[in-house]
Amino acid sequence: MESLLTIAILLPLAAAFVAFLFPADKPKGIRALAILATGVSLLLTLYIFSQFDRTQAGYQFVKSIEWLPTWKISLKFGVDGISMTLLLLVGFVSFCGALVSSEIHDREKEYYILFLALTTGISGTFASMDLFFFYFFYELAVIPMYLLIGMWGSLPPGKHGRTKEYATMKLTLYLTAGAVLALIGLLMIYFVGGTTDIERLQHNIWLASNTQMRAFPLLLFGFGFLASMWPFHTWSPLGYAAAPTAASMMHAGVLKKLGAYGIIRLALPLLPEGARHWANLIAILACFNILYAGWAALTQKDWKFVIGYSSVSHMGYVLLGIATLNVVGVTGAVLMMFAHGVMAALTFALIGFFYHQTHNRFVPDLSGLARKIPFIGVCMVMAVMASSGLPGFANFVGEVMVFIGSWQQGSTIFRVATICAVWGIVVTATYLLWAVRTSFFGPFDEKWSMLKDAVSFRQKFPYALLLAVLLAVGFWPRLLTDIIKRSVETTIVSRTGPPEPDKPPGSVPGNNLVKR
Amino acid sequence: MGFYAIQLECMVATWGILVLLVDAFKPFPNKRTVGYVMAGFVTVALLWSFCIQPVDGVFFHGMVRLDPLALYFKRLFLLALAMVLVMAAEFSPRIESGMVEFYALLMFCATGMLLIASVNDFILLFVSLELVTITFYVLASYLRRQVASLEAGTKYLILGALSSGFTVYGIAYIFGTTGTTNFDKLAEILRTQGGTPSAPFIFGMLLVLTGLGFKIASVPFQIWAPDVYQGAPTPVTAFLAVGSKAAGFALLLRVLYTGLLPVNAVWNTLVMVLAGATLLYGNLGAIPQHNIKRLLGYSSIGHAGYLLMGVAAVNALGAGAVLFYLGQYAFTVLCAFLAIIATTAATGSDEIPSFSGLGRRSPILGLALFLSMMSLAGIPPLSGFFGKFQLFAAVIGRARTDWHYYVLAGIGAAAVVISLYFYLGVGRAIYLQEAEDASPISVSTPMRIALYVCMGAMIGLGIFQRPLVEASITAAKVFGLR
Repeated sequence: MESLLTIAILLPLAAAFVAFLFPADKPKGIRALAILATGVSLLLTLYIFSQFDRTQAGYQFVKSIEWLPTWKISLKFGVDGISMTLLLLVGFVSFCGALVSSEIHDREKEYYILFLALTTGISGTFASMDLFFFYFFYELAVIPMYLLIGMWGSLPPGKHGRTKEYATMKLTLYLTAGAVLALIGLLMIYFVGGTTDIERLQHNIWLASNTQMRAFPLLLFGFGFLASMWPFHTWSPLGYAAAPTAASMMHAGVLKKLGAYGIIRLALPLLPEGARHWANLIAILACFNILYAGWAALTQKDWKFVIGYSSVSHMGYVLLGIATLNVVGVTGAVLMMFAHGVMAALTFALIGFFYHQTHNRFVPDLSGLARKIPFIGVCMVMAVMASSGLPGFANFVGEVMVFIGSWQQGSTIFRVATICAVWGIVVTATYLLWAVRTSFFGPFDEKWSMLKDAVSFRQKFPYALLLAVLLAVGFWPRLLTDIIKRSVETTIVSRTGPPEPDKPPGSVPGNNLVKR
Repeated sequence: MGFYAIQLECMVATWGILVLLVDAFKPFPNKRTVGYVMAGFVTVALLWSFCIQPVDGVFFHGMVRLDPLALYFKRLFLLALAMVLVMAAEFSPRIESGMVEFYALLMFCATGMLLIASVNDFILLFVSLELVTITFYVLASYLRRQVASLEAGTKYLILGALSSGFTVYGIAYIFGTTGTTNFDKLAEILRTQGGTPSAPFIFGMLLVLTGLGFKIASVPFQIWAPDVYQGAPTPVTAFLAVGSKAAGFALLLRVLYTGLLPVNAVWNTLVMVLAGATLLYGNLGAIPQHNIKRLLGYSSIGHAGYLLMGVAAVNALGAGAVLFYLGQYAFTVLCAFLAIIATTAATGSDEIPSFSGLGRRSPILGLALFLSMMSLAGIPPLSGFFGKFQLFAAVIGRARTDWHYYVLAGIGAAAVVISLYFYLGVGRAIYLQEAEDASPISVSTPMRIALYVCMGAMIGLGIFQRPLVEASITAAKVFGLR
């Protein structure tokens, strides 16, 4: 039972290894293997979710293997409400990503190996309960992304004047710079805390105040690079634009969430004093994310750049939610991560669908596409609505929770930030509605008459699945918020001071979870 | 009894002499096979070394040690020698004459390295160091008709002779001020004197460090590395990068952590500054390079910087980290050079653009070169990642008591990002760019075996770090650091 989680995480990596031994001239078999591995992994994650004890706050399905006794490192996987939500996200996005990868016809073997390795890198980070392996999986995700973009990507020439090689190199360097910054912070925590076990660090250990103050910015900016925190976001739209469809989906959908997850999982619970000290800065940067990236998106003409900047802007809501440090705000941030992940993956999949046929994604060049590809058009309209925060979609719930949390926080900075963030929704609606109106509606251009819609069930399925997830969570948000809230309460909000001394060190975590 | 301690040295040297003699009387018809057979023999010696038990105590009047540290390095050198012999055999068509002498010189050089692993006295230090350096003078200029190779040999000779002079001069000062050349006795004398040694002693110490700095190619004695790496025959470059560098660090650790440990306050800051400068010089210098051997020359300077970070930490973690790093670095660098030799045999060029499309032309060579570049850059799940992780951990661990170490860690972090840029430049050629001539490259079986061993070790040690970590910690215990 406990091993199920480990299997769900390592299955894609095992499949990658099998694919490595596969003959390269049998691409269909490798593709089937990739779909099977991600599909089974998704089913296992759903099963774990159904068995997840919703009344309990701590980690569940914990499996620990002693790895390096001299360093006290163990390979330890487990999920709480926050990581459960994000693992579901990885499951959905990676499965749909494998499904829509049929457009790849060159070096399929390498493609699927890298895609599967990337999947394990991301889900491994979400489920790791050990600092070392958290970092290990985190870094593992970087290089597959480099090759996926560099080998199968495409970047139409534009005002940016960049090539896909530039884009992928920039992405890799930014992510690595962030990662080494975070590594220094993590090592500081390790030496002061004396353990790599995240659960112990979260519940039994209270780090000295000056360590907290110093390590927090390292973790914040280190993970912030990956969360595309302003002003370290410039790698992100370029990277999306250059990536092949499935890589964009994984990247915007889940990889970027690793950054925010790093802050929520490690920076906030392990360094609560530091978090309180630096919260205002996060809120200010979040406003820049929302408004600056939103404004940048207004001027974009390439579909992928529009969505790329929009995604940077949406990460601003997540960061604002994190900065509130209260239950509603942080829960909203996690839900927003989930909702935005699904929505971004859906949008990139849809763009990939028509770009594969038109070889053009320049918004003014496209017109009236909905007449030829009505299914894709409908899905795109829905995705745009979700992105603009219309009620009924999961994004709405996330955004509203972030706003409420931020307003509740009470200080002037947060009040102003809330107003900025609400204004950001208007900006989002402006550019997204413009893009969808111009390219999908209006007079039909004859040069697009060769377009083919998704007709068969197999073609429609990935888009429908992602849309269904958005609607399901939108109508029944408590499915996720209940479990997220519990974990947020125990790991972040209730961490106000050192654990009481009468608790023997190493006692069962969960005993000292009672609110003080 | 003393010969128990130097049995591996005797084996390797005897085999070298034997091959020379046999070839003089009855020349071998196929020089390539000779190389493979010798590599096989060295592999047997490597396996044999695991039957040798470390001995507590000294041999030959305190000159030689056979502690776990010595055995650790001996195994590393034997491994490097076996791989380099395979490379040399692959490389043999490009060496006009004296191929067997080439093998024999490699064996003699390795004998010196094996001795270095056991050194416990400045006199033996100098003798074994000279054995290694002088054979390298010859090896570096072995391609007699190529100007670059001659240039490499000359440069190495002049700078090497100079640094040997410094070393021996420094040893004289140390002997003059303390009356001993033995590391253990030296440490005892320094301990009784207290923490502040006399000025002539410090002068001597600096001169010895100059000589060792030359071996490991640390700033400011690094100038030779790119030229010699580029010009020397590729197997020799590989042996320089792996064997000579590890030998330099073996000596550095022995000298600094045993003989000079009582005065670590004196050299600590110096090593820190050198580490930072070496990191920046090596990694920044590598950016504009377009010859892969020259790039690896700069990269080797950069890695000397990372290793010096561990030396500067002066704690058990740092010593263990340096040993682990050297162990995995051997596999990584050998893998890179194996792939380079196999590729250049087909393309005839060391320039990075000539590696374009290698991923298509030969998937195994492309993968091997790409993985070794990523391991050098320190990307998981490869062994270089855990090596760097430990070195950073050692420095951060020390930084809690001395904030200067945070600066060093910061420089190291910047170096990691810079290095990823140029290592990915090689990766870009392999996978992102297309070759003009897309004909497949064939790989011989011994080469294939060596490549699989190296790749397996890189991935294996990156994921299952435990065996090498434990071996390195056992070896580092001989210093008795905390």
